[in-house]
Amino acid sequence: MPEFSGDAGQPHLDECADCRARLKSRRELAAGLRAVAAGFHKKEAPARVEARLLAAFRSQSGITPIRRERRWIPAVTWAAAFAAMFALAVFLVRDRQPEAARSTTPRTVERASLVMSGDMEGFIALPNAEDAATGESEAMDVVHVEVPRSAMLAVGLEVSPDRTGEMVQADVMLGSDGVARAVRFLN
Amino acid sequence: MNDRAMKAAATETDDELLLRIQSGDEQAFLDLYRRRQAALFRFALHMSGSNSVAEDVTQEVFLALLREGCGFDPERGTLSGYLFGIARKLVLRHLERGRSDVVLVVENDDSTLPELAVIDDPMVDLTRREGIDALRRAVQALPRRYREVVVLCDLEEVDYADAAIALGCPIGTVRSRLHRARGLLLEKLNQERNPRQAISLKPVRCAS
Repeated sequence: MPEFSGDAGQPHLDECADCRARLKSRRELAAGLRAVAAGFHKKEAPARVEARLLAAFRSQSGITPIRRERRWIPAVTWAAAFAAMFALAVFLVRDRQPEAARSTTPRTVERASLVMSGDMEGFIALPNAEDAATGESEAMDVVHVEVPRSAMLAVGLEVSPDRTGEMVQADVMLGSDGVARAVRFLN
Repeated sequence: MNDRAMKAAATETDDELLLRIQSGDEQAFLDLYRRRQAALFRFALHMSGSNSVAEDVTQEVFLALLREGCGFDPERGTLSGYLFGIARKLVLRHLERGRSDVVLVVENDDSTLPELAVIDDPMVDLTRREGIDALRRAVQALPRRYREVVVLCDLEEVDYADAAIALGCPIGTVRSRLHRARGLLLEKLNQERNPRQAISLKPVRCAS
């Protein structure tokens, strides 16, 4: 209470018992009010008020809440697709054989026994899949790509020599590390 | 918000934050809200005695700020005073509707109470628990025009200029109401504790 100060009137206070008593009471009142305020200092509006106001602010400003994780989905998808194409290309260049279709069952076909059920049906495991760390709970992404028909040779499928230059649709299954695990040819 | 952003927000004035809010800056709105909400909430709580009214009032104050042409004029005073003024009007509206029928009860944590000088006179020891409770009740019992000035200036430590903006009156009126309010508080407390002493402590001018 700044306007009530007895300093200037000290000589009077020395002589006037009534004013001394009043000054003392006022100072005690000031201390009491500070104590009351201290008892309330932790009081504040509940968090739900801030949430409501934030929603109101966004609706008024026409601001759509930013979902950062969604912004990353296209980038991840494109990166995975690129990685799949790259892995498949490397795989094809390395293993492509000029001879006609193999007569014996290649190793990759054996791995095709790992073909999964449901909408995973038709996938053929790639040789490099065994080097990648895989787990049952690993999240897989499927990327749709277009590859030369000759790519089918690499996984042990028969291809007519005069059609190796054609393009075919394929689904490539990618592990969480971006490495292709399996491929499924669609036509 | 990182440390740098927090420091920047702390150094920005209310007016600067308001400008950013008007340009759609969400963080500025949050910064201003977090800076001012507690005092506004407590003001509404002291005035109404109701947590729900205080919550509604706090929310309405900031919604009013969001509305276009909220009416704030920096030339006339601070944003803080303006916000208290909105809060006051909203509280009065609630009080006029008779919605404030809740007795203010605050669970006091003794550890939060400041260390105050020990006062010998037990009749006016307002720093002890029962004294504080009695004083709180006395504030609640004050007529509205005196209660609001005590809450603003003494409990929330709003300066007289801002209080004048909030109350829509000259600073001199704030001072005189505050003086009268404090006198009424002392009178009320002394009446409760010692009727005979209360008479001697009435706020009268010294004749000498």
